Order: sequence, then C-alpha cells, then structure tokens
Amino acid sequence: MADDLSIRLETISLCYRLAKQRVPSLKEYAIHFLRGSLAYEQLWALRDIDLTVRRGETLGIVGRNGAGKSTLLKVISRVLKPTRGSAQINGRIAPILELGSGFDYELTGLENVFLNALLLGHSKREIQAKVDEIVDFSGLGDFIRSPLRNYSSGMQARLGFSIATAWVPDILILDEVLSVGDVTFTNRCEERIRSFHDSGATVLIVSHATQAILKNCTRCIWLDDGQMKADGAALDVVNLYLREHGTEPGEHAGGRIHTAS
Amino acid sequence: MREIYRYRDLIFALVARELKVRYRRSAIGFTWTMLQPLLTMLVLQVVFSSLFRMELEEGTNNYPVYALSGIMFWNFFSQSIVASMNSLKGNSPILRKLPVPKEVFPLATVISGVINLVLALVPLMLILLFTHHPMTPALLFLPVSILLAALFTLGAGLLLSPLAVFFSDVVEMIGVLLSILMYLTPIFYPMKILEHSPYLPLVRFNPVRSILEVFRDPIFRGKVPPLTHLSVCFCIALAALLIGAWAFRRSSDRIPFYI
Repeated sequence: MADDLSIRLETISLCYRLAKQRVPSLKEYAIHFLRGSLAYEQLWALRDIDLTVRRGETLGIVGRNGAGKSTLLKVISRVLKPTRGSAQINGRIAPILELGSGFDYELTGLENVFLNALLLGHSKREIQAKVDEIVDFSGLGDFIRSPLRNYSSGMQARLGFSIATAWVPDILILDEVLSVGDVTFTNRCEERIRSFHDSGATVLIVSHATQAILKNCTRCIWLDDGQMKADGAALDVVNLYLREHGTEPGEHAGGRIHTAS
Repeated sequence: MREIYRYRDLIFALVARELKVRYRRSAIGFTWTMLQPLLTMLVLQVVFSSLFRMELEEGTNNYPVYALSGIMFWNFFSQSIVASMNSLKGNSPILRKLPVPKEVFPLATVISGVINLVLALVPLMLILLFTHHPMTPALLFLPVSILLAALFTLGAGLLLSPLAVFFSDVVEMIGVLLSILMYLTPIFYPMKILEHSPYLPLVRFNPVRSILEVFRDPIFRGKVPPLTHLSVCFCIALAALLIGAWAFRRSSDRIPFYI
C-alpha cells in the first residue's frame, strides 16, 4: 500500500440484521430457532463502498438522514466491523462521532477530561501533560470543577471537542459536530481543524450544513441509500446534492419538520 | 493483549470509579465492607452453634470461619459475574461510539471485585484472632488462591457478558443458575454430610468447589493446598480464562450492533 494513503475501503458493505420478530430473550430465541422461524430483515446501511483517501485530504460527506454517513464513519473509526469488504486505515484516529461520548455526568469536567481521554486511548501521563491546554481551549473557566450535569449541551460539546483534538491525530473524524457551540467556538474549532490539515492530518467531516463542508473540505462524497452517488470536488458535489435535495423542507434546517419514519 | 495493555490506565480509572461509586452510595461506605463479615459471623455463631453442633472436619470445629471464608469467596465469584454481565450494557454509549477494546469493562469489574475481597480479608483475620483460630504461615499463600479465583471468574465473566448483550433474559437465568451452583458448593455445609448422598459427584466435580478449597485451605485448615489439587485448579482457571477470552473475541465484533 502506498505510503501516502490514509484510508482505503474496498467494496465495503455493512448489514444491520433486524429481527422481524422481536427476539430479545434467549427463551424466545430457542423457541423460534426450534420452529425454524427465525427471519431477519436485512438492512444494508452501506453497499459496495470504494473509497481511497490520501494523507492530508479533507473529505466532506453529505447525504440525507439514514444514508449511511455515520455508519461509514463508524467503519473507518473501527467501531463497527463491515459485513463484507476490507478496510485499511493507516495511523491514529481521533473519532468524534458524538461529542463527549462516554462522559460521566456525576464527575466534574476535569475528571471527565481524564476519563474521556483514557477512553480515546491516551495514557495518564499524556493527559497530565495536556490537561491545562484542554481546559484552556474549552474556555470553560471555573466550570471545569463543577459536575457535568450542570453543563449546557454547548459546554459539553466544547469540552468534548477540546479533549478529542488535544492530540494531533493522523485522521480526524467529525460527525455533525461543527454546528454545536456558539460562533466564536465554532471558529476556533475550524481554526484547529485547519491547523491539523496543515500539519498533514486527514480530516473527514459529516455535516448537514453544506456551508461548513464548502469551507473546510476540498473533496466531497455524496452517500445515498448506502451507496456512493458522487465523489469529486467539494463545490461540484455539494451543488449536485443541493440541486436534488435543496428544496426539501426541513432537511437542512435539522430535520425538524420531517416526520420520523 | 497488547491493545489491552495500552489501555491499562483506563482500566485503573474504571476500577477506581467502580470502587468510589460502591462506597459513596452506602451511608457508612467503606466501613460496611469491614462490618459486613463481622455481622455475618455473629449471625452464624448464634444460629449454627446453638442449633446444631457437629464436627466439621477432624480437629477443627470453627464453623463461623469455615462458612465465612466460603461466603466471601462466593460473594466475590457471583457478584463479579453479574457485574461483568452488566458492565457492557452499562457502558453502551461508549461501545457504540468509541473503538475501545471491549474486554476492559469485564476486566475492570473483576479487578474491583478482587480489591473488595482483599479488603474483606482484614475483618476475617480479626475473626481468626478473636476465635483463637490457628494462623499459620500458609496464609501467605492467599495471594495465589485469589489470583486463581480471579482468573477463573474473569473467564466466566468474559464468556457470559456478551450473551447478556444479545439476550436480555440471560442475566436472570444466570441468577437462577448461580443459586443452584451455590448449593452445589460446600459454602455452609461440610463435604462430610454428603458421604452417602447421590449428589456427591456433582459437588465433588464442581470446579467452583475446587477453587474455593484453594482459598479455604490456608484460612481454615492452616495449610497450603496439596500440589495435585493446585495443579488441577490451575488447569481449571486457565481453561476458563482461555475459553472466556476466545468466546469474547469471537462475539466482540457483534456487540456494537446489539447494544
């Protein structure tokens, strides 16, 4: 594999197997199994995705709700193993699939810095060296000593981003995280993303805010129903996407008008 | 293995958190761990020594020490298993979003169980003193006994915790199985009473009994367990760990889909 490749996905498919009957218990499972009536509905969240990302590229991912964007990021972050296909990921990943996943609301902000960074795979010593910088970047001030349950969602997002980006990763993965937090903080986040990019990191961004993608990415892919619909320069793909979906009500305003299906 | 070593600081943090939660919840906290064996011992003393008096084994008749060492071991074993089954479910937000090696959660649970067991040894030693039970250098063998018990328990926890993710009723089923297993383990009764019982083979070949005796020998009988028994237990513990680790590995990729 060429040295400048950061991600190579080859015909990745991922299937969520949803049981048609709810089989939450072993007893029912045994009964259904004996009757031979175990039927599953297969939901292919990703179908034959081929993707090669070079080191240092900034890739945006657009698509409607349920198109498979987050699933793709989970495959790249090694959270989900694809049903078929091979995924080669080079380097250290900083996955931000959700800001502050793994926060403990009873612990203080500072304690959560340690817990969260440990979950991301850093050692205690590494964290001790960075903790002041993390607290400083989050801009939380004295709030850092207060339990997390007193935080607003924006404050949690700021803390989560500060922790996850305290170390320069080889691949930074952002799932819909640039839209939380206030404008000043979003600007600081984008500044940091740019500095990562300058130091050679690969950046993947999923966002419904196409502006954020145009601002931060050079390349963009469009996922639709688990398939790759377009792959190209960010501006072209975003325009293509907006032409087809731009008029859909609610989709870009955060899906509020959309009825859940 | 190397992956888990890389996350060792996380494991320590999880253990510390678990212990902190356990001791913060109850009003008297840490004191409880110390007090509980003493109270149990009082009850045992009153109930059993006045109700029926029998010779446990030749020479030794200290029923409270016999029963208490059994109870402490059993509590460690059963509580660790139930807790490791809940540990994956309890950390579902993490398992859905972060690429953490999933073994760390059952592992941290068993380690904090070991720490509790070690802490409970303090009141047990006090009881040995007060009841004038002979304390021999064999007590120094206890760390090995506890290590064997921990490996065995970890194996069982690794085997069962993914099942608890896939099927919601497994935790209850295991609860029932554990209570049956408890009666098949000589915790409250001496092996002697089974001499003519049809259940004797079930108890004798119960691996939990074998591991328990390794723990009980230094405390109650004041001797290091015989080498043959030790090697059998070592094999049991190792087999449990290998089977558990293998089963966990096999199913760990599917855990985020079901949790």
